[in-house]
Amino acid sequence: MKTLVLGLGNPILSDDGVGIRVAQELRSNLEYEGTAVMEASVAGLDLLDLLTSYDKAIIIDAIQTREGRPGQVYRLKVEDFMATQHASLLHDVNFATALELGRRLGIPLPKEIVVFAVEVEDVTTFNERCTPKVAQIVPVVVDMVMRELNVE
Amino acid sequence: MASCKATDAVYHVDPPPAAKKLRELFYCAHMVHSHIAHFYALAAPDFVLGPTSDPAERNILGVVAKVGLEIGSEVIKHRAYAQDIQNVIGGKATHPVFALPGGVSKPITEEERKDFEEKAKSEVEFAKFSLKLFNDVVLANKDYLALITGDIYIMKSYYMGLVDSNNRINFYDGDVRVVDEDGKEIVRFKPAEYLDYIAEHTEPWSYLKFPFLKKIGWKGFIEGRESGIYRVSPLARLNAADGIATPLAQAEYEKMYQTLGGKPVHATLAFHWARLIELLYAAERLLELSQDKEITSPEVRTIPTATPDEGVGIVEAPRGTLIHHYQTDSKGIVQKTNLIVATCHNYPAMNMSIKKVAQAVIQKGQEVSEGLLNMVEMAFRAYDPCFGCATHTLPGQMPLEVIIYDSQGGVVRRLSQSLPG
Repeated sequence: MKTLVLGLGNPILSDDGVGIRVAQELRSNLEYEGTAVMEASVAGLDLLDLLTSYDKAIIIDAIQTREGRPGQVYRLKVEDFMATQHASLLHDVNFATALELGRRLGIPLPKEIVVFAVEVEDVTTFNERCTPKVAQIVPVVVDMVMRELNVE
Repeated sequence: MASCKATDAVYHVDPPPAAKKLRELFYCAHMVHSHIAHFYALAAPDFVLGPTSDPAERNILGVVAKVGLEIGSEVIKHRAYAQDIQNVIGGKATHPVFALPGGVSKPITEEERKDFEEKAKSEVEFAKFSLKLFNDVVLANKDYLALITGDIYIMKSYYMGLVDSNNRINFYDGDVRVVDEDGKEIVRFKPAEYLDYIAEHTEPWSYLKFPFLKKIGWKGFIEGRESGIYRVSPLARLNAADGIATPLAQAEYEKMYQTLGGKPVHATLAFHWARLIELLYAAERLLELSQDKEITSPEVRTIPTATPDEGVGIVEAPRGTLIHHYQTDSKGIVQKTNLIVATCHNYPAMNMSIKKVAQAVIQKGQEVSEGLLNMVEMAFRAYDPCFGCATHTLPGQMPLEVIIYDSQGGVVRRLSQSLPG
């Protein structure tokens, strides 16, 4: 099975880069045949290009919810959200719409997409580091992804 | 790209020809992908499904359902081609890492050039197809043509765009030219001179500023030649230029002005038509540049030697004129920055366009519906705005609120979407 681990986010906007940080840690830890690790700062239709031809995709990204506390991690499916703050590009379609379009067009997309969404504190300050509460959760998310991949 | 050109100016360095061509090639690919995305994902739903159609269908999924899956596949494919070209030249399509003061970081190979050439040929055909689709679905529909040319979406203003030495549009380089509501040139300036021609008004109710032409002055939110308000955009670029340097796009340019009664065109919804003409120009220019053997030259950088201090870079972003202005210390560390993005240039006009449509479609005794919100949104959507870029923040969703007052100022009804909780 071909699996993609995709860290999404903006690496210069503090906690928005948490997905990127997790992917960077995973790349150094993970040498697993059939698993690709990528980092990207894209959304909407651009995501289709990255997801094509994989059987499973694990996406890591930042999220901000009304009740959440920074450092919480949610395991979500695509159906769990129609739009998050940065899963939509301002000039494009949202994640769920892009996937639905891809499916209707017969683009080979993963049969299973798991999203690890990290509740974050700050996505508007220019900084190449995450805030402390989010930074300390990165190893935990790495471990969660490894378990999702059934890797010790 | 504006940033890249600004750093050339900061370091007083002129890139070699191959570097400029690679930058322009990258940039044309960027225009292709952006214009395709805007037309098919954002603009087309209003026309293919109808302005007051069910919002659940009035999106790219509805467009594909109506025009066919094959067309949807072509949209995805040609966006991907453009992104591929950007990836190869720029390292990444989003947040490219190739631009340096004095040039670019690496040349391309002959194999890459050939690949670009094949992709560019396909882009030209897709752009031609997109214009035909617009013709068949929009222009052939009398109601839609009436909507485009109708008074509620008309706004007379000045128009700004970059032009080359022959006054033809160029996305990457040139002088900034401004024409009046009759198409007559009133100012023309080099990037470094922009502050002599543009000033910004502020209002207490917005973080975003309101640029205006200094020569005319800020007269408030009014239309016409007495007002310093100007517009940028694909239509503004075509209005400000005397033509397009590539043959197929030039023919479409002539057809648009012939259809809409001459030049300049003031119809805000015609931004979408102009955007497709520019898609064709960008594709043709992409092909021209990819067939130019000089783009495989290894000479892609002039090393700066001057002490950095200050510089301005201007390009035409997909949405309009983009200005980057940096002041640095002697080590090149930025001390002061001014950015004026397309949405900022258009902000006064956007407010006026929205108000005009809202006042026209809200009539006493008529139900105020979701379709109303969309008619107002269409005035705004034509500008392909980005408030994130313009205010330098990231709002996420597009919040919209329409409040209807009676003649005593009492609130009759509120309609809204995506407002913060």
